[in-house]
Amino acid sequence: MTKRFRWLAALLAIVLFAAACGDDTNDSGEAADESGDAGDNGEAVDQTQGGDLTFHMITHSDDGPFWSVVKRGAEAAADALGVTLVWMPGNNDPGQMVTDIETAIGEGSDGIAASLPSPDQLVGPLQQAVAEGIPVYTLNSGANDYQAIGATTHIGQSEDVAGRGAGLRFNELGATKVLCGRQEQSNVGLEERCSGLKETFDGEVIDEFVGLDADQTEQINGIKAVLEANPDIDGFLGVGPVIAMSGLQAAQDLGIDLVIGGFDMTPELLGAIEAGDIAFTVDQQQYLQGYLPVVLMFLEATNLNQAGGGLPVLTGPGFVTPENAAGVLALSEAGTR
Amino acid sequence: MSDTPLLELDNIGKYYGNIIALQGVTTEVHAGQVTCVLGDNGAGKSTFIKILAGVHKHDQGEFRLEGNPVSFNSPREALSSGIAAVYQDLAMVPLMSVWRNFFLGSEPTKGRWPVEWIDKSFAKQTAKEEMAKMGIDIRDTEQPVGTLSGGERQSVAIARAVYFGAKVLILDEPTSALGVKQSGVVLRYILEAARRGLGVIFITHNPNHAFPVGDRFLILNRGRSMGNFAKDEISQSELTSLMAGGAELEALQHELSQG
Amino acid sequence: MTTAAEASTGSNGSEETHDERLAYRGIFQRVLVRPEIGAVIAAVGVWVFFWAVAEPFGRASGAASILDVAASPLGIMAVAVAMLMIGGEFDLSSGAATGALGIVTILLVRDVSGEMAGAGFSLWVALPLSLAIALALGWFNGTMVNRTSLPSFIVTLGSFFVLKGAKLGFSKLIVEQIQVGTLDDLADYAETTGASDKGYGFLNTLFAAEWDRRSHIWEARDNIYLLGTFLGLALVIIGVFELHHRRAERGIPAGYAGAGLGLVSVLFGINTLHSTDSVSGNWTGSLLILAGMTVGLIGLSAARYHPLSDRSLALPTGAVTSFGLGVVALAGSIIAAAMIDSQNSENISWLGLVTVQGGRAILFVSLAGAALVLFLIGVNRARRSSIAGGGLLLAVTALSVAGTAFFVRAESQTPKFRTQAFSFMLMAAAIMLVWAIASMLFERRSSTGHERTGLALVGSGFVLALVGLGARLLYVTQSELDAGITKTGYSVRILWFAGFTAVCTWVLTRTRFGSWTYAVGGNKQASRQVGVPANRTKVQLFMLVSFAAWLVGVLLAFRLNTIQASTGDGEEFEYIIAAVVGGTALTGGYGSTLGAAIGAFIMAMSVQGIPSARWNSDWRFLFIGTILLLAAIGNNYIRGKAEAAR
Repeated sequence: MTKRFRWLAALLAIVLFAAACGDDTNDSGEAADESGDAGDNGEAVDQTQGGDLTFHMITHSDDGPFWSVVKRGAEAAADALGVTLVWMPGNNDPGQMVTDIETAIGEGSDGIAASLPSPDQLVGPLQQAVAEGIPVYTLNSGANDYQAIGATTHIGQSEDVAGRGAGLRFNELGATKVLCGRQEQSNVGLEERCSGLKETFDGEVIDEFVGLDADQTEQINGIKAVLEANPDIDGFLGVGPVIAMSGLQAAQDLGIDLVIGGFDMTPELLGAIEAGDIAFTVDQQQYLQGYLPVVLMFLEATNLNQAGGGLPVLTGPGFVTPENAAGVLALSEAGTR
Repeated sequence: MSDTPLLELDNIGKYYGNIIALQGVTTEVHAGQVTCVLGDNGAGKSTFIKILAGVHKHDQGEFRLEGNPVSFNSPREALSSGIAAVYQDLAMVPLMSVWRNFFLGSEPTKGRWPVEWIDKSFAKQTAKEEMAKMGIDIRDTEQPVGTLSGGERQSVAIARAVYFGAKVLILDEPTSALGVKQSGVVLRYILEAARRGLGVIFITHNPNHAFPVGDRFLILNRGRSMGNFAKDEISQSELTSLMAGGAELEALQHELSQG
Repeated sequence: MTTAAEASTGSNGSEETHDERLAYRGIFQRVLVRPEIGAVIAAVGVWVFFWAVAEPFGRASGAASILDVAASPLGIMAVAVAMLMIGGEFDLSSGAATGALGIVTILLVRDVSGEMAGAGFSLWVALPLSLAIALALGWFNGTMVNRTSLPSFIVTLGSFFVLKGAKLGFSKLIVEQIQVGTLDDLADYAETTGASDKGYGFLNTLFAAEWDRRSHIWEARDNIYLLGTFLGLALVIIGVFELHHRRAERGIPAGYAGAGLGLVSVLFGINTLHSTDSVSGNWTGSLLILAGMTVGLIGLSAARYHPLSDRSLALPTGAVTSFGLGVVALAGSIIAAAMIDSQNSENISWLGLVTVQGGRAILFVSLAGAALVLFLIGVNRARRSSIAGGGLLLAVTALSVAGTAFFVRAESQTPKFRTQAFSFMLMAAAIMLVWAIASMLFERRSSTGHERTGLALVGSGFVLALVGLGARLLYVTQSELDAGITKTGYSVRILWFAGFTAVCTWVLTRTRFGSWTYAVGGNKQASRQVGVPANRTKVQLFMLVSFAAWLVGVLLAFRLNTIQASTGDGEEFEYIIAAVVGGTALTGGYGSTLGAAIGAFIMAMSVQGIPSARWNSDWRFLFIGTILLLAAIGNNYIRGKAEAAR
């Protein structure tokens, strides 16, 4: 009995230790910048004038593959400029984001960059930040609302524009009827991607929710069911990286050829593009969505520059195709694409 | 009447710290006879059962099983010595079938580990036979125990204890939760168990249930024995009044001591 | 055969006892008290519904998809979770554990070299190691629940978050991605370098082999299918007759001759149907089959069973009422089908969720189904007071079914309805008719004993039918291949699912561990008192669930070669729902693994049916929820009825 428990204790200790390590690595930006810049890098402060600048990046990040690239971009920019970046992931919880914005205002932030997954709740607090004289930028989502807030500009990709780009691609590739598969039932951004596709694509578009990413078996079979019910479908657009791979699997299961497009990137998806199984993926180059706001906030704070001229700064859509997949794959493994 | 009682208690006592839970209790149980233990709530009946069933050890007096002094360390020990207690809650799983309940925890198996399975036909047949010996005919041993009447459930528990080798059967208030008719059924099972040679200890607070079946009566009150009578030494009305009188006496003493 | 022998013969005998409690439970009652029966009926209902409204549902590819969704992860997990629930506990970490154990397996295999590091073990080490981790996880959950005496809901909710966090944390820590891949690197590496694939090939066969229907041609398939299903059906019917009727001491031997004659006639009829396409040929064939069935089965009954003594006819009001309601429902379904335009394939505008055709089919199937249920309730009520009355109503029901079959044939546009549904309904009507006649002529059995023959007949009938169906689903004919059918693959996951369900069912119903599982879930205190190791049993049940999660994780890893961190999160409720739909009680102590497996099928059919029927996917969860709710309610209702009938 006691022996068993000693073993259990050892296991627990390992788990706790590992968890602690994980924290360290994941939040390196926060931790390193907060302690490192204020202390050890004291000299750097004078040279760059950035040492006493603190920027807050408040997003609905779930620290998934997409957002970790944004985070890396922001951290790289903060490192290069020698400023402090506070990364506040809201984990898809607008309430949390409101609290974070209020915290940032209370701390006297020198610049706030925020994403706007649900504008109704977030516009108010950000307007308050503007009223306090804090420069505000929106990123990723918020193209329709940044002007109402009084933000300097929006850095991101319009989902609609990305969808339209995908539609043109499908036209080029000769598809006639495309299934636009969604992995979430109600997500405005995903629906905009599909409606953008409908705008530019010459053929017919079927727009369906086919199953969650958390259950890929169901997702694959959901796609199969639609494909079987509509045998004339010859193209598939998965509006996420996992669902794009599910589409490929479904097509292979049924033994049919589809022109497959995806959104965003994972190494598997890039591998499939490199192998020619998937035609393209829409890349919104989210590294820029992390990097650019920090640079623009820095320039506004130190040099009073205001970029964008009232228009959003677009980071995409870029396309990854079999031609450039290998290069992007290498960068993706490094975590910057 | 046999010479050596199956089970004998001589001046048994039990303390929990300073509190006297049981004191000076003497009685005996013969094979084929029913010894009734009567007492109101708090009379020490449950302490009495726990000593017999091996949950607690006695602190005073002597506990003899077939003439030999014993003191049990665990219920399992008591059980293997042939003393089985059937508690009020019966240790039954209502949603499970009669035969599964009958053999629960001691299922007969076939085959060898890891491919070992319950010998279902043997279990079902044995359960049915054992129940039949108690005079109860279960229409289907597959039916859940929960669908049986309270009396039938008691009989399953009793038959189970008998089948697994009990010599002394302790029944804790088996009639307390039952209606008049069902109580009668259970009393018949008690007599049936005694007829089959078991010594039965029947614990109850109802003298009307105890008198018709009992061969010997032990009356407890506030942890003390109020008397230990053979059937020919006492009448039903005396039994009733002894129980009731004891309580009245107690109340009177209480008033006097306060006044 | 009499009371005297009863005590000694145990389960046999007790026939003539004058105790009303000893009423013999017939074949139907015995089937009805099984916990999974509600699920079976619900599954058949859902299947018929979607078969009627969704094109791919009757096809092999549709079956393959449903099997795929039902098998893994859902089915395997539902079976394990059902056992845990019968044992009175929940495991909210079971969903997250499936993904976690898949990730662990892959991480153990991945090479150390390169930027993305893993342990680089051989699969032969990684699989047992990850299994050990899985069992440790289950042991931990179970022990925590026992030690803390907290509800398992709370404890495993904690493990859920720990796992969810660990999956994301470790994935990003080690491979800097939320996806972990890939196993088939091993195969690629072996191909390019000529080195050993470390057993990947064999294990890939074991965990991810696929049976491609198109590469298995068998011209005799349809004959096997026809023979298997018809013979199987015949055996089941004869077996049920055998189980249901009382054996005569001295039957009429000439009846056997009638049975033989009937069989010949049926075979001749089938042959006629098979070889002709003309209307008169069809009529001749069908009538031959019907006459053969009647003569054969009545002949067999005359030879073997006791004639009915009480032939008084009486129809209680309750029976007449429900029968009347049934007639109304049937009339409603026919009127609705006749009124609505069968050609219109537009969406019904105010909701936009189904087409007019689809709406018509839904209305018709639901109303006709309700009518059938009401008819059968009426029959059942009538039978309680008079056998002949019940038989009469059943005969009328049979005729209504036959009539509806002809209506469907005349009205329907789709070949599926015109041929398959038509023949099926006619066959059902014929079986009911013969049954009605037999029940008015021969006496019901009232004792156990001599059941071997009947059970063996029913059992082998099911096996034959399964073989026939299996042949149909697994093989193609050359002509189909030439017509260009789509690929249909059956994966080895289905076998894992079937095997796991079979083993769990055996363990639950036949072993001590199974008994203890019911006991600790039904009354933990009581089971401890009689010496059941309650805590150990619960820990083992948690370990069973984590074993299943490991199996599912490995199956996923081999299928997709990559697993992402969110895999399985939140899926645990689907497992619980599948178990509950399959008749497992949330309170523990009651349920069945077979039911949970069927519950998984119901869920899979609901999930697959909506896109197959081309319904608007916005309404998907509304449909699934409704179907599941109906299935659960129906299940509960049937169980209540069955328990009352005990």
